[in-house]
Amino acid sequence: MEYAIELCHVSKSFPAGSVRTQLKDLFFLRNPSAGRHTVLHGIDLRVLPGEAVGLVGRNGCGKSTILQLVSRILCPDEGSITLHGRVSALLELGAGFHPDLTGRENLRTNAAVFGLTRAETDRRMETIIRFSELGHRIDDPVRTYSSGMYMRLAFSVAVHVDSDILLIDEILAVGDAAFQEKCFARLQEIRRSGTAILLVSHDTAQLRAVCDRCVWLQDGTIRAEGAPERICGDYAASQQLPS
Amino acid sequence: MLTQLRSLYAYREMIVCMVRRDLRGRYKGSALGFLWTFVSPLMQLGVYTIVFTHILKNGIDRYYLFLFTALVPWLFFSASLTGGAACVLAQKELVKKIWFPRAVLPAAYVTGAFINMLLCFAIILPTAILSGVQLRPGGLLLLPAVMAAEFFLALGMALLASSVTVYFRDMEHILSIAAMLWMYLTPVVYDISMIPARYRILLRLNPMTSVIGCYRDILYSGSLPDPAALLCAATQGLTALVIGWYVFECLQKRFAEVL
Repeated sequence: MEYAIELCHVSKSFPAGSVRTQLKDLFFLRNPSAGRHTVLHGIDLRVLPGEAVGLVGRNGCGKSTILQLVSRILCPDEGSITLHGRVSALLELGAGFHPDLTGRENLRTNAAVFGLTRAETDRRMETIIRFSELGHRIDDPVRTYSSGMYMRLAFSVAVHVDSDILLIDEILAVGDAAFQEKCFARLQEIRRSGTAILLVSHDTAQLRAVCDRCVWLQDGTIRAEGAPERICGDYAASQQLPS
Repeated sequence: MLTQLRSLYAYREMIVCMVRRDLRGRYKGSALGFLWTFVSPLMQLGVYTIVFTHILKNGIDRYYLFLFTALVPWLFFSASLTGGAACVLAQKELVKKIWFPRAVLPAAYVTGAFINMLLCFAIILPTAILSGVQLRPGGLLLLPAVMAAEFFLALGMALLASSVTVYFRDMEHILSIAAMLWMYLTPVVYDISMIPARYRILLRLNPMTSVIGCYRDILYSGSLPDPAALLCAATQGLTALVIGWYVFECLQKRFAEVL
């Protein structure tokens, strides 16, 4: 079986100093004075097509960095990342929306940012608009939208890209309860169609509902992985007993 | 390089959308709207024409046209250099959150500026005809070649400027000063024949000299562009593109970390 996402011994560190000191180091050809701080050490992670994997852990443990690496926004220092198929990342909803353009125009741009061609966007247009429940407001400028409408539009585009790999970072709190219900249903549908899902959330109830497997990250390494019930339970228990 | 070009092609729709968003979003809500595209170049044209024909008498025939044919291409180049420098920085949120071929941003910016230039050419051509320039069909056929050479040059500079600016923010300010100096090192407001012969070779090193010379041959003198200048413009344009592309590809890997 071919994995959709395969991370082998991936490490990632960031330069600790400011850009100014880095430039000085570069200019005087000396070793970095501020050093680097490592966020991930030798991570191994494999996700099958149609599998949903959740990442849990405290702030700064490297969850979001993994998503950024898989989405190719960052390059790993060491190790390799192999991806099969189109990736769509919901790391931030509505990135690149222009307030003065209409919902429909922004929908087009947003779909293009995900790498859809014009024909692909045209095919999905009506489905996306129906999913967003915006109705005729789709032709109003986005600046007149409420924050709920804004999020609904952005989410609707992102879940209709038909990617093979879907990355989600803490953004399932979209709209009211009914819309959230619909988002969950849509995620299950996407997963059943064979898309691999990797998601980060602090809401362990959400992870239990969506994931097949959970990975607990601590200080840039994998502390435990397994069934969502067990991992989320252990993680929650560890949080209630501050050391 | 081939795979990168292919991914840029796959994201062509994004370039189209970014250009449209830029052109339509920029003037939305303003009363004159799209007409603002023409106001700035025409104002500059008016001011320079008054200064250089009535205050400083230079004796160049139909100076307004002489200037117009050079000023519009120059403004395109200068926008690509100064505005292009900030184009990755301006889309910081997008770069940090979503993957797409980063070269989309400078490509979209330069294309937008290029479309503005084409719109201004819609004014230059009738002006030239009304001023009595006998436009040669051969010259007009070569006009797209000159434009392509300038486009490559501008794109190369925008790739270079935008990627360096991400790491070294001062570059944006340095470039706006450099663009002003560069304009006077290019025969825009004057003619290259006014420069002493022994310095002309230095001006020839400036890629914009050949580009502007070609535009002027076609639209002001009504002749065919000087083949040597056209070849020179094409070579310099492609060289700039290759260098800009290479630097951009090296620097773009860490964009998300430093932004």
